[in-house]
Amino acid sequence: MPAVETKDLVKKYGKTTALEGLDFSVNEKEIMVLLGPNGSGKTTLLLILATVLKPTSGLAKVMNLDVVTQPTKVRQILGISFQEARGFWRHKPPEILRFHATICGVPKIKREPLIEEVLKDIELWDARNKLFMHLSGGQAKRLEVAKILIQRPPFAIFDEPSSQVDLRGKRVIWEHIQKLRDEGSTILVATNEVREAEYLADRVTVLDQGKNIVSDNVRSLKDKIAGGDIVELQVEASDTDLLEKLQKIDGTVKVATTGENQYRAHVSMAESWVPKMTDLCYKKNLRVVSVRVTEPSLDDVFLHFTGRALEATPNIE
Amino acid sequence: MTCFCTSQAALWRQHQTLSNVTRIIWFDLKHELNPPVWIIMEWLLFGLQLAVYGSLISRLVTATEMPNYFQFYAVGFVVMMTFDIGSHTGRHFVEHAHEGRLPYLLSLPIPRRTLFLAITLQGGVELALLLSVPLFVTLIIIGNLTAISAVAALATLFWLGFGVAGLMLALSFIAFRSADIYAAITAAVSALIIRFSTVLYPLIFLPPQYAGAALLSPLTYGADLVRLFLGFDPSLLLDPIFAVAILTALAVSTLGLGTFLLQRLVEGVKSG
Repeated sequence: MPAVETKDLVKKYGKTTALEGLDFSVNEKEIMVLLGPNGSGKTTLLLILATVLKPTSGLAKVMNLDVVTQPTKVRQILGISFQEARGFWRHKPPEILRFHATICGVPKIKREPLIEEVLKDIELWDARNKLFMHLSGGQAKRLEVAKILIQRPPFAIFDEPSSQVDLRGKRVIWEHIQKLRDEGSTILVATNEVREAEYLADRVTVLDQGKNIVSDNVRSLKDKIAGGDIVELQVEASDTDLLEKLQKIDGTVKVATTGENQYRAHVSMAESWVPKMTDLCYKKNLRVVSVRVTEPSLDDVFLHFTGRALEATPNIE
Repeated sequence: MTCFCTSQAALWRQHQTLSNVTRIIWFDLKHELNPPVWIIMEWLLFGLQLAVYGSLISRLVTATEMPNYFQFYAVGFVVMMTFDIGSHTGRHFVEHAHEGRLPYLLSLPIPRRTLFLAITLQGGVELALLLSVPLFVTLIIIGNLTAISAVAALATLFWLGFGVAGLMLALSFIAFRSADIYAAITAAVSALIIRFSTVLYPLIFLPPQYAGAALLSPLTYGADLVRLFLGFDPSLLLDPIFAVAILTALAVSTLGLGTFLLQRLVEGVKSG
């Protein structure tokens, strides 16, 4: 049974449809990444699962609890790190974390050591005496993530967890999210950052215009792009029919010469194509000078399934 | 045994609810009290207003029906403060909803009822803190009062405060379209409600066209009822039963409507 599932979930804001009959699931103890541009319905889905928004129609369940009929029970097993960290302007990070920990039932004896540990882990310790309103965007975002690291809920939601955070900070946040998964939490991350998705995802759901376009693990998604892998090949000597023979290898989508004794092949599943290619060259007694394989990014995956790039889409979220 | 366990669980839940309500109230309030600059400024403003404007204007007002306008003015100013505080509380809540703090509170593992109770009580505690000194001073100025009349006056002010906060919540749908328009409309409504009321002048002194408008202002009923409880001449005031009915209707309807509308807007049900 999935830890989270939605069936035919619809959410409308006036005339705008944010979610359009969404079917979606997250398995227990996995990191599911929702990948989609602004306005694809990611945040709306997260807010419905967190019981902050109510769906217009359809079903949404978290750990078999209905978000509409059992919202308080759902909130007792989840934590959400919001996209925008805002609100408690005059409070300091430890105060905000203490309030969150107390309301979420973290035992009193564990609270203070845990707050200190997480503030240090997430590199906010030096900013602990600053008011929230004086934190930088990246620090405020880290604080938002820290709430969940202190709460350690069975189901954790992160909405763009590392936006506005520097490269080093991103890595720290990602490692903590993975650690949370390793300790048994089910995790849902929404992002439009390809690198974040590639780093974190056990599985990815591509969301576009409120619909689940495809869900799978990263490897399978990339493999689904016919000709998505690019193999750049250089051989030692010229061969008149090598181009033709390369085109006949299973998985080849197209091959072209790019220079003297140099070829570029668009193939499906380079890992099985390359051995066939080297075998062919061996039989033709051609020495392979270099092979360079480039696999598609999740941006290419998105482009493949939606016909549009992840960026430059209208924002209705 | 089962019965014992059930009652223990119920007690535990009540304890948890109470703890969470206290935590939510205290989380904000401690910053307002440390140091309590805003509260002390409001008290000083009240003192200054009474000492300068109140004492001077009361020397000009010499109607026979109004032997002591200073007392009338002091009560009126407390009612205006109540209106300001209620209005501020309502607008503050809408701002929280608008800027994203309310979604955070809505995501916490506490029942909605507990959350809204905490937010309402927080408004009540702020109102009580801000009004405590001005009301005490006013009671001293009026003198010769019973504890019951003082408590009844305080209860009326609370009821009025909740009604005004509810009014601001009921207008919250505007804030979701434009925060600037919301600010402008609430400011205009506030100005009209205060000026077209009996806060500063009794109904019998008003020309008919003003008196008609004053009857539409909730402050008229709040001010007249407070004055009645504090021993003012009933011939200057509205029928108290009518005033109680109007204030109750205002508080219940605006708070109910405001909470309903805001919840639907925040939870995104409106369009559903």
